[in-house]
Amino acid sequence: MIRFWISIIMVILLVFQGMAMSLLPSRIVYSELLVTPHWVLCLIMLVAIFFDKDETYHSVWYGLAFGLLIDVVYTGVLGVYMVTYAITAYVTHGLQKWFHANFVASLLLAILGVALADMILYFIYSFVQVTEMAWGDYVSLRLIPTVLANALFFILLYPLLKNRVEEWSERWQSA
Amino acid sequence: MPSLFRRKRLMTVLIGFIILVVLIGFSMRDRSELSVPEKFLQDSVGWVQTVFHSPVQLVDNAYQNIQNMLNVYEQNEVLKSRLDEYKGLIQENQQLEKDNRELRDTLDKTDSMRDYTPIQGTVIARSSDRWFEQMTINKGEEHGVEKDMAVITSEGMVGKVESAGAFHSNVQLLSGFDESNKISSWVVREGEDNVFGLIEGFDSESGRLLLEGISLDEELEEGDVVMSSGMGGVFPSDLRIGTVEEVKNDRSGLTKTAYVEPFADLFDIDHVMVVDRDMETVSEEDQEEGEEQ
Repeated sequence: MIRFWISIIMVILLVFQGMAMSLLPSRIVYSELLVTPHWVLCLIMLVAIFFDKDETYHSVWYGLAFGLLIDVVYTGVLGVYMVTYAITAYVTHGLQKWFHANFVASLLLAILGVALADMILYFIYSFVQVTEMAWGDYVSLRLIPTVLANALFFILLYPLLKNRVEEWSERWQSA
Repeated sequence: MPSLFRRKRLMTVLIGFIILVVLIGFSMRDRSELSVPEKFLQDSVGWVQTVFHSPVQLVDNAYQNIQNMLNVYEQNEVLKSRLDEYKGLIQENQQLEKDNRELRDTLDKTDSMRDYTPIQGTVIARSSDRWFEQMTINKGEEHGVEKDMAVITSEGMVGKVESAGAFHSNVQLLSGFDESNKISSWVVREGEDNVFGLIEGFDSESGRLLLEGISLDEELEEGDVVMSSGMGGVFPSDLRIGTVEEVKNDRSGLTKTAYVEPFADLFDIDHVMVVDRDMETVSEEDQEEGEEQ
């Protein structure tokens, strides 16, 4: 049941991610900057930080499943988001042991995670020639705006879901 | 034990890498149709998108309506002053329309490439990754949409169908076009013959389409209109694409390249029409609809 709720929220974020691009005023979304929402990833990282214990890897599985869903629905190139999100979830899960699970630390992790994920995407996509952006352009036009926008989203998401995810984690442990 | 663990991790990385390469290879090749699981996922997410899209659209529309209402008085004044001018135009228009219909009747059999059946659709989402210039519309194979059909708005062409699910399909926008999706097109000039060219890509820096393969001795002017020619075999002819903005000799020096500003705003799209070209049947209704667009 808990996994069901997490999945539902992820699907909703996934849907909103695409709707935001078509409904937000176009001069914000379609400026020079290639801002990319990684909202699903934000939730995956919340799961990695607050739901997973040392020996459980739910976040990685969510990363695989919902990354693949993003591939199918939004890009058509399978496997890229899937692998990227899984790696990011795994790294976040690994780093999380070294931090206290508080707001500042998780925000830092989220920023690191989004930056890592977006860079992996850049490398894979430039390898298969989906994008031909130069590294410098990529950093200034896409990486930095994307990290900032998603950090902002993480700040909004954190108070909404943090306690709930922790509670679910405890219920999951006791069950 | 640790070595076993390490080996397991190595295996995971290797297998993951292989899966990634296989999946990318599978999906990047030129597929004529999506696989069944992909279609299923696309449609399922499409339904969820539709569910969330309708109320949000409602709020969005209400907001726009309120904004419009604030300007109603000023607009009304301007429109009133224009109304008289239009009365004359209407009569002229009716006359021309009648002429046109008569002429068209005589041409009926030869002139059929421009006719098409529009399938009305609504944009329910766009790709969240800006490197993929795609959007999802709420019409699919069940409504007659097929891969490679042209997609237009009232302003002009916006793209083509990249992949069709049962009830939803993905549209590749003009801004995501590359050499693998060319549009055969005409440049329409006043008082001279049409010039042939191929739309072969998009210059993302200036936001303009590249019309290539124009022969050197043709003179193009800024503002000439570019339309699809229908020679590619997929799109109907006379879909409005854009206007010529700049002409340059291309790198080899054998042909010219024109930079074409698209008519349609590729960022702010709500309602689209998928264009189903019908070569044989020419019904009166289709022609009239075609004219309106």
